[in-house]
Amino acid sequence: MRDLSKVRNIGISAHIDSGKTTLTERILFYTDRIHAIHEVRGKDGVGAKMDSMELEKERGITIQSAATYCSWKDLDINIIDTPGHVDFTVEVERALRVLDGAILVLCSVGGVQSQSITVNRQMTRYNVPRIAFINKCDRTGANPAKVTQQLQEKLELNAHMLQMPIGLENDLEGVIDLITMKAIYFDGDNGEIIREEEIPADMLDEAQERRESLLEEISMFSEELMEALLEEGEVDTQLIWDAVRKGTLALEFTPVLMGSAYKNKGVQKLLDAVELFLPGPKDVVNMALDLKNEEEEFAVTNDPADPLIALAFKLEDGRYGQLTYIRTYQGTLNKGDTVINTRTGKKVKIGRLCRMHSDEMEEIDSCGSGDIVALFGIDCASGDTFCAEAVSASMTSMHIPEPVISLAIIPVDNKAQVNMSKALNRFTKEDPTFRSFVDKETGETIISGMGELHLEVYTERMKREYKAEVEVGAPQVAYREAISQRAEFNYTHKKQTGGSGQFGRVAGFLEPLEDEEYEFVDSIVGGVIPREFISSCDKGFKKAIAKGSLIGAPITGVKVTINDGAFHAVDSSDVAFQLASVGAFKEGYMKAKPQILEPIMKVAVEGPSEFQGGIMGSINQRRGMIIGSMEEGLYTVIEAEVPLSEMFGYSTVLRSLTQGKAEFTMEFASFKPVPKTVSEELIKAFQEEKKNG
Amino acid sequence: MASNDLVVNNPLKAIGLEEKAKSGSKSMGLVMSRAGLGKTAVLVQFALDCMLLGNKVLHISIGETVDKTRAWYDDILSLIADGEKLEDLPAVMQNRMIMTFKESSFSKAVLEERLDDLVEQDIYKPECLIIDGFDFASADRATVEEMRSFMEQRGLKMIWFSAIRHRDDERLSSDGVPAPCHEIDDLFDTVLVINPAGEEMNLDIVKCDECTVDPGTSLKLDPSTMLIQKV
Repeated sequence: MRDLSKVRNIGISAHIDSGKTTLTERILFYTDRIHAIHEVRGKDGVGAKMDSMELEKERGITIQSAATYCSWKDLDINIIDTPGHVDFTVEVERALRVLDGAILVLCSVGGVQSQSITVNRQMTRYNVPRIAFINKCDRTGANPAKVTQQLQEKLELNAHMLQMPIGLENDLEGVIDLITMKAIYFDGDNGEIIREEEIPADMLDEAQERRESLLEEISMFSEELMEALLEEGEVDTQLIWDAVRKGTLALEFTPVLMGSAYKNKGVQKLLDAVELFLPGPKDVVNMALDLKNEEEEFAVTNDPADPLIALAFKLEDGRYGQLTYIRTYQGTLNKGDTVINTRTGKKVKIGRLCRMHSDEMEEIDSCGSGDIVALFGIDCASGDTFCAEAVSASMTSMHIPEPVISLAIIPVDNKAQVNMSKALNRFTKEDPTFRSFVDKETGETIISGMGELHLEVYTERMKREYKAEVEVGAPQVAYREAISQRAEFNYTHKKQTGGSGQFGRVAGFLEPLEDEEYEFVDSIVGGVIPREFISSCDKGFKKAIAKGSLIGAPITGVKVTINDGAFHAVDSSDVAFQLASVGAFKEGYMKAKPQILEPIMKVAVEGPSEFQGGIMGSINQRRGMIIGSMEEGLYTVIEAEVPLSEMFGYSTVLRSLTQGKAEFTMEFASFKPVPKTVSEELIKAFQEEKKNG
Repeated sequence: MASNDLVVNNPLKAIGLEEKAKSGSKSMGLVMSRAGLGKTAVLVQFALDCMLLGNKVLHISIGETVDKTRAWYDDILSLIADGEKLEDLPAVMQNRMIMTFKESSFSKAVLEERLDDLVEQDIYKPECLIIDGFDFASADRATVEEMRSFMEQRGLKMIWFSAIRHRDDERLSSDGVPAPCHEIDDLFDTVLVINPAGEEMNLDIVKCDECTVDPGTSLKLDPSTMLIQKV
């Protein structure tokens, strides 16, 4: 049986362009998974192994997370390379859901940037223990000590350096391990030969000082270590490693390692740290919901002998057909097994089982608990749980943000139309934050997602991978409508124009509802609306909230209670009560003071302090609310909440405002009512559009 | 719940500073305690009081992050609203801006520059200033005097500072203001000191030129929430 203490499921997350794909490439090289190194933007044009999508290679950024597997010494490592841009946040979130530990990659020059804060927050949400790796120590301006301090101050992590660099920038030679107190150099063409030496004499004092402060810090996690330190004798290395591991697993300590993946320095020591400090599947508690017992939470066992529980966390429609990435939480999955998809209740037969190495694969016969593997030809959705027949469990649902931006796409010809449909079918299955639908009134296909780049990448992929030439409309904000007060309705639908008539009366009230989209409450007593027509009412209300009467946007946050009504023995029907409910909703809606909501984005702009005034001004002009500014020497980060509709084209404005020295990130924060003037404009535009057909 | 209800119920009424604010006079206040006893919580209560009354507050936090400072406001507001949702919360929050600085980078000159940016572009014109984490131990009298004249020139209604007192430094001014502010106590109109006494937490009014209560009066802080208790 496989020793789970020798398995690590890890993610590599970071700010865009901090070199995480290069780092993954080196990890694959040192673990003998690849035999030549290709750079992300390398001259050989091959591109990094993990960036298998053409667009990724071209842009030099990671869009899809690719799963890969490698072995380091006697350790099995599953790695998910996650994207850095916030628009692809669901990819990061899905990866974090199934990982036990992570490497947070930071640039030694750029340090902690706004995106690192988002990624760190996501890691905290999923309780993922992490190691920080300060990359690019060969770059001009590299300062790992400053970055460590930023980890403490900006991310509020108890981060401490386990290493210190030997030289920096062009003079980077290696690192000093502050636990073993050895100088480590990386020789050979690709840094594959590790040479351990004594610490250079001129660095010894600083190393000792840093070691002392490190030991003092981690002694909090080990009484044995604290005692050993008080005795002032030689401290056993294993004792220190154990203390660091304990602190890391408890999310109370973040070990900081450093090097330069590009210059082949420090990567092997990072792999050692993955084994020493990051948890194996048995070190973390994963909870599942027992569907046979009112969804009560229980901890999965990780025991390969127990009935299977596995989570499908990613779907990919590639050149091998549909691939479903799963993580097994307990039990063993063999080729040919039959399992149940607990969402659909359907039996699924496992055909082929593979370990994925970016876009290549390796067939295997079985996988044990704690593994990340891919299945072929399974029909399921992302987030589904597979179980053995003996259990009926579901892994907790994943946080999926609502799309905030949409645009119309128009295929240029019939061929493009067919290809576009194929592409949309695939993309929407793979990415739950990417949606598409056909607007019934205009007949246009609308796609919606998490940001401009998100949609841009999908339209590009349509063109490149599916040869679907499409014309793209201007981006539109995904508005919502909501009621702001309680209102009653009492509506009778009556139709008597030859043939069988239609009759139904529905009465009750609407109320605003927080944090949920829709709730239907049946308070009918005495059978004034017969049981069989209650669900018709629910259906009718659901139809009514799909399009509000202010601007035709979906209605959100509404609780509908029905408490009275009437029926006719002959003329009442399912359709009659559905129509009565639609009418009732319309009647109540206008009395409930409806308002238009718009997506508000959390925006962080980072730039030189000298431009602070200008940046704040630009946010202010965009109806933004400045939450605060953080001034750190020459740089300032301004945090604000700005309506998405005001953010189109902001990157160009910011660039010209700051001579290209500032950058910004944004993510969805909440829906908020639009100001009265904007609301009036939107209503007017909607009415004109309606009038013009 | 309307923000007016919070204004009416505000325990800060016990000090009676709003009368002073209404009269248009300007004041400089100071909250002192040993480290970690809740100075920020008390400052935030003063800031929220200003915000609820419709004044714009600039909260300067030295050595803290925006998120942490913001969390103080969220927590205290939800405590004083007793879990009820404030109807005009977005409007109240428009009255707050947070600026954080590193200890080494904060000075009156930098503050002036930042404030000019905000005011000249009509982005934000604060009426109350909260300065949390000002290093009184290394500031001289002239620096604090400058802050006072800054308040007057800028037409600010009030500035509230926090200061750390050290357990082993027992120096006091004649009014009973502890070190390191004992020699500049005349520059402040109000000085409050948080004093733990057994399981209780007192907010001693050491100096209060125009308060409705006499100096020497002690208010109570709820040790679990750090909210000022009604008298």
